[in-house]
Amino acid sequence: MLLPLHQPPAPAPRQAGVARLDGVAVNVERTPVLRGVDLTVLAGEVLGVIGANGSGKSTLLRVLATLLVPASGTGHVLGATLGTTACSAVRSRVALVGHTPALYPHLTLAENLHVVARLTGVAAATVDGALETVGLAGAAGRRADRCSQGMQRRAELARALAAAPSLLLLDEPHAGLDADSRGLIDLVTDRVRRAGGACVAVSHDRDRLHTLADRVVEVVDGQVRATREVPA
Amino acid sequence: MTAPAAAPTPLRQCLELARKDLRAEARAGEALLVTAPFGAVALLLVPLAVGTDTPLLRELGPGLFWVVVLLFGVLVTLRASAVDGPAQLELLRLCGITATTRLFGRALANAALLLGVQVLLAPVAVVLYDPDLSGWPWLLPAMLLVAVGLGVLGALADAVAQGLAERTTLGPLLVAPLAVPLLLGATQVLAAARYDRGPWPWLLLMATAVLVVTLAAALCAAHLEEAR
Amino acid sequence: MTLSGARLPAVAGVAVAAGLAGALLAPPDRLQGELVRLMYVHVPAAWLAFLAFAITLVASIGWLWRRRPGADRVAAASAEVGVFFTGLAIALGSIWGKPTWGVWWTWDPRLVTTALMFFVYLGYLALRRATVDPVSRARRSAVFGVVAFVQVPIVHLSVLWWRTLHQPPTVLQPGDPSIDHSMLAALLGNLVAFTLVFAVLLRERVRLAAAEDALETAEESAAAISPAMRCPRRGWRAPVSEWAWVVLGYSVAYGALGGYLALLVRRRVRVRWRAGQSR
Repeated sequence: MLLPLHQPPAPAPRQAGVARLDGVAVNVERTPVLRGVDLTVLAGEVLGVIGANGSGKSTLLRVLATLLVPASGTGHVLGATLGTTACSAVRSRVALVGHTPALYPHLTLAENLHVVARLTGVAAATVDGALETVGLAGAAGRRADRCSQGMQRRAELARALAAAPSLLLLDEPHAGLDADSRGLIDLVTDRVRRAGGACVAVSHDRDRLHTLADRVVEVVDGQVRATREVPA
Repeated sequence: MTAPAAAPTPLRQCLELARKDLRAEARAGEALLVTAPFGAVALLLVPLAVGTDTPLLRELGPGLFWVVVLLFGVLVTLRASAVDGPAQLELLRLCGITATTRLFGRALANAALLLGVQVLLAPVAVVLYDPDLSGWPWLLPAMLLVAVGLGVLGALADAVAQGLAERTTLGPLLVAPLAVPLLLGATQVLAAARYDRGPWPWLLLMATAVLVVTLAAALCAAHLEEAR
Repeated sequence: MTLSGARLPAVAGVAVAAGLAGALLAPPDRLQGELVRLMYVHVPAAWLAFLAFAITLVASIGWLWRRRPGADRVAAASAEVGVFFTGLAIALGSIWGKPTWGVWWTWDPRLVTTALMFFVYLGYLALRRATVDPVSRARRSAVFGVVAFVQVPIVHLSVLWWRTLHQPPTVLQPGDPSIDHSMLAALLGNLVAFTLVFAVLLRERVRLAAAEDALETAEESAAAISPAMRCPRRGWRAPVSEWAWVVLGYSVAYGALGGYLALLVRRRVRVRWRAGQSR
């Protein structure tokens, strides 16, 4: 059912920044989680963010998703300044595949995806195609709460495929996926970068992140520490 | 990349969200198969506690019906199948759904379910209490206004208690005192119709209450979200 | 507030003493007898309940507008002080109602609205307690505070219609609507005195909230009825003397005021002590 996943890496143009954070600090429930974060996400790249549990990497994803407003510092995502109403206009071009699946448990996988498609104006055929791509065409009629974690993750990836975002954010993308399904991550990220978008993947799994990402930065105690290019 | 399709209007988004809520309810059966029967039990318990004096029960019947609709209706609006977890909320926000759209989508689904609960409980109240039903057609607009008003209040309580562990205990306290105009309007409509007084002022009062709470919710809901 | 330290409480204390003297020296009412003295504490309590909730509304709108933490503290403090005065007004109304009407509670529209308002703001305070994050708490309670307050006039209107349309209007008019001058003076004096006490309580509560916020930050980085409206029920006599009811009412009023103030002061002293510990 799965389509061939490995295609040659796309020669993506790296020019304009998709997102840029300058000295960003974020508090969650009064606790400082991020401080002084400088980060640029370039078009056509997959940026890996590594860090221990509780280091603030998931919060960093939510800032990039324009869902959190920095307490200080400035940030721009897809041309919109964080904390301004402009964010609402670009938000639908950002997709987030979170750590816990954002699925309505009583709806089927297909219904879950179709609801979101109708809310955002995506064609139903696009959703069906995406479900087929991730190998869920046969299981699409199953209720989300009766699906394995792997199937839920794949449904989330199908939603990201259908949304065709300019910025794809992945939180622990490999968690819950079996070896056969892991290639799907490459497929989805590849589609986004080919279209000139960018991906940010957050993980505590150093090895998998290094194979996925073009560039890896580390978050330690709420600060972006090291940046290093991954050899091709 | 496909060309970005035109985003649906907030009204379409509201309808879509309400449809999603109703579909989840159809599968979970929480409002109509659990809360409504619980309300029927309450209607059955009252005569056991206050005595089975038929004339008295005939007098009490309509009032008890509305009290049960109000109190159990709050539970309907706080049903677990309509809880948006943090992940679902993030998803909706990334779909460009505003807090106001979300609130009115929920209110719409609430109103539909509350109408359903009333339709299920009304025959039970009629059978158990045998109330004087002269002027019953006036009940229809009253039921509709109660459903909409309680639906909006419930959605508002749900929105301000979003994500709190105390949501289901807090919600009823936030909603019930504010729903008094709906309760008084609904109980007085039938009484007024029975004594040949026009029920219009009561319907007007209920409509005003619904309108005010809807406008206030529409103006305030956007403030519930940090990043707009 | 520039009236820092002891000046405002001192002025309030003098005003309360003068108000108490005025209330006890004013002549008894023709119909109500000594019981009229309960009015001098009940009416101010009811007035302050409404004032407090109005302040909560204004502060809530202020927070939504400017997002200053101070506005949220005023809204919260005023709601709590308002719930206190609403509870006091209901309790004093009951203490007046028992010897006058023979019942602790009656379905007077203002009474019902006041009780409903008490519960609305009890809900408001519960919502605040349930939320940990201060910005999220301010946001949720400001929205609920605004929506709740705009609904209160409609709640009152509905209860008013319910009483006037549902029952034949049996509301008795007082024989003489005019009020004795010395009684009016006693009432106004007590209104002023209680409003000053309100200011003291509100200020204390705001300071407590500020101290608590500061402590949290430090630790992280390291609730109306007017008695003149109805005549006493004919043929019913109070089982105990009218003065006993007056004494009961005044004990409740001043006891509650003193107790609440002492509680606020004690809490602030504790917060200060904890702040000193954490430093």
